[in-house]
Amino acid sequence: MTSTTTGKSELTAEFVNPIISSTISVFEMMLGCTPKRTGLSLKADHIPEHELSAVIGISGKAAGTLVLSLSKSVGIGILDRLVGISSDEINDEVCDAVCELANMIAGSAKAQLEHLEASISIPNIITGKGHTVHYPSNVVPICIAFDSEIGTFTIEAGFSDR
Amino acid sequence: MKVLLVDDSGTMRTIQKRCLSKLGIENVTEAEDGVQALEIFQNSTFDIVLSDWNMPNMDGLELLKEIRQLNKEIPVIMITTEAERARVVTAIQAGVSDYLVKPFTPDSLKSKLERWVTSNA
Repeated sequence: MTSTTTGKSELTAEFVNPIISSTISVFEMMLGCTPKRTGLSLKADHIPEHELSAVIGISGKAAGTLVLSLSKSVGIGILDRLVGISSDEINDEVCDAVCELANMIAGSAKAQLEHLEASISIPNIITGKGHTVHYPSNVVPICIAFDSEIGTFTIEAGFSDR
Repeated sequence: MKVLLVDDSGTMRTIQKRCLSKLGIENVTEAEDGVQALEIFQNSTFDIVLSDWNMPNMDGLELLKEIRQLNKEIPVIMITTEAERARVVTAIQAGVSDYLVKPFTPDSLKSKLERWVTSNA
């Protein structure tokens, strides 16, 4: 049992550097800002750090979930930076912009792990404080925290092998 | 110049439309997935197709194959997060004309579109 959990944690760990480099690259290219990593930790629960989550499922030789978790203000900032549209609420345009950003981060990360032959799902948005996200059983998700010009956000992810 | 722009993200369609507009291209028809795009393609004439890969209902690869059954000449550019070598090879085998990986800088999108828009103007 311990070795199974360790194996799954190792697979999740394999994603850490590709996720970090992809996140920085996507924010730089698409939003013109440079996020700085401020933390890396194992999550004790499946509740994302912020109220807005873009959730992407990953399948292939690795199966799991990647979440871009951010606050309302960061979501609004993403829409503004991407297409120059101002908003004061989480509407369809904000959700679409956040989804597209998460899609690029997941796609770019999986491209660096070509041997896993992974596919990514179309992103879904979950909103509300305290919502939960599902990961494969026995997987301990990681949480990578970032700070940027538009605010703080996290990437949370957990994977198991198939 | 008539462009068929296919992406399930309204955000991405806006970004690409603005880039096309800067190149003087205003005649852009939008579709949200492959099914909608194929129906539009079958009932109209276009000079170029820009398509995402991952979309609901019908993805960009399937759309590309359907378009190639109907038209082997029209330029089809994939603008997608699918960056793995195997995916690119699959798209080339299916008849894609060019490929741009997301994320991209405004300049890289502009130069990619400029090349095809200019050569097909």
